[in-house]
Amino acid sequence: MVRRYLNLWGSFFANSLTRDMEYKANLIGGIIVDIIFYSVQYFFFSIIYSYVDTLGSFTREDVMVFLIITFISDTVYMFLFSGNLFPLNRLVVQGDLDFMLLKPINSQFLVSFRYVKSYAIFSLVILVLMLLRQSSLHSADIGLMNYLYFSISFFCGLVIWYSLDFLIACLTFWFKNFTVGGWLSHELLKFSSRPDSIYTGITRKILFSLVPMALVSSVPARMLLYGLNVKLLMFQITISLSFVIMTFWVWKRGLLRYESASS
Amino acid sequence: MFKFLKKYSAVIKMTWIQTLEYRANLYVGLFSILSGIFIEYLIWKQIFVARGTELIRGFTLNELVAFIFLSMIVGQLKSSWVTSIEMIDAIRSGGLNKYLIRPISFYTYHLMMFIGQNSLFYMAYFTLIAAFPFIFPGLAFTTNFQVFGFLAALFLAVYLSYNMYYIMVCISFWFHEVRALVIAYNIANIILSGQIIPLRFFPEMYLKIIAFTPLPFLVDFPVSIATGQLPTDMWASKFFLGFCWCLITWGIGKTLYYFGIKQYGGYGA
Repeated sequence: MVRRYLNLWGSFFANSLTRDMEYKANLIGGIIVDIIFYSVQYFFFSIIYSYVDTLGSFTREDVMVFLIITFISDTVYMFLFSGNLFPLNRLVVQGDLDFMLLKPINSQFLVSFRYVKSYAIFSLVILVLMLLRQSSLHSADIGLMNYLYFSISFFCGLVIWYSLDFLIACLTFWFKNFTVGGWLSHELLKFSSRPDSIYTGITRKILFSLVPMALVSSVPARMLLYGLNVKLLMFQITISLSFVIMTFWVWKRGLLRYESASS
Repeated sequence: MFKFLKKYSAVIKMTWIQTLEYRANLYVGLFSILSGIFIEYLIWKQIFVARGTELIRGFTLNELVAFIFLSMIVGQLKSSWVTSIEMIDAIRSGGLNKYLIRPISFYTYHLMMFIGQNSLFYMAYFTLIAAFPFIFPGLAFTTNFQVFGFLAALFLAVYLSYNMYYIMVCISFWFHEVRALVIAYNIANIILSGQIIPLRFFPEMYLKIIAFTPLPFLVDFPVSIATGQLPTDMWASKFFLGFCWCLITWGIGKTLYYFGIKQYGGYGA
């Protein structure tokens, strides 16, 4: 079954790539927006670190690695999900979700993976190269095992982000027309784009559990920079599993409320 | 003049009614500002503690938080990127035709629509601003003069910002796909106009460059007036300069529209 779904995703990707190549201006525009976004974030932290040497445990060079990881998360997310979850509200309001439900595959898979933003590949390649270079220049000894733990943690972070965004998008089943879902996700995402060391007390607890945005980029950055933290990694895996299971449940509950067009 | 006001006030009323239907926008907008200020507070608190100092660039922590809080409000009120995307789509898809065959201006109609769409935000944020002297006593709006100065500067900032977006909209007459340009400008603007870090914290070289652009009038100017960071004797010259930027950007927008409409096919891209 996994192979069948992988093949299916391959077809989605090929189809999306063909579509994207037809609109080259969109492709170039997307890359420009990404570059501006990365530059702005870099500029922000440059200013912050001109006034201080460390933010909690994150030094300037740590934050550079953290930033690149944040950008990679963002790019992978854009690549896989951004073209799918944002339009869910429209699919529900206009009743176009019917066409998705009629297909002989898992509807959540189709809704989540149908469109791929292929232009993100360019940014992704550049960012991965930047991460490799930045981590090789880092004063800490970053070994191959660190990359392995990082990869696991990064995957879990991505699952958490997808789950949270998916849960917010599913609110459209209850609120009928939830156009602000994308905006709300973006606002929650802000918490993941700052190092977790700035969060303390109850905020930290919330960002590590109920709204686990600190697990999206900060924890993978910690795995890469400081090595394996078994407790933290197990915790991240547990949270990501819980959230992904929650998406299955919410999707099923949501579909029960769906009444086709103008529901 | 009366006809003009009657015509365009109807647009504000219409969008006002539409906006009231989607109040969730307001709640997310409020969440955006409150969560944003909270994150900035946490960062700057750590910086102040790490440096062991009371003042950074003339700001105490409370003054800085108050400044950023107001900057975020002004930043959100002046941003008309959603309206701009709609305008670009109208040009790309041929939707501009309906403005050409009616006695309404594409520019003014969307300006009024933008004000109408933002009206709910204006009410909510003005409530926040009214509560400001109680939340941050002595840090902003300490005199009536500052209140009126802030309102005038805010009006200038909103109008100037709209003109800048309009210039980008008009570029779509030549290059159909300029939505990316608007989004990129919007993202860059959040930092470069001082929406989350006051401009005074920026490197000197950057400040020298942006002194020749309208960027300082978008957020920093109104907030500096409200918080008393800008001496009263400099207000007049700054207002004059801001007004000049409004005229320049308005002129560029008008010129681009004049030539752009001749390129327009009316059938969509």
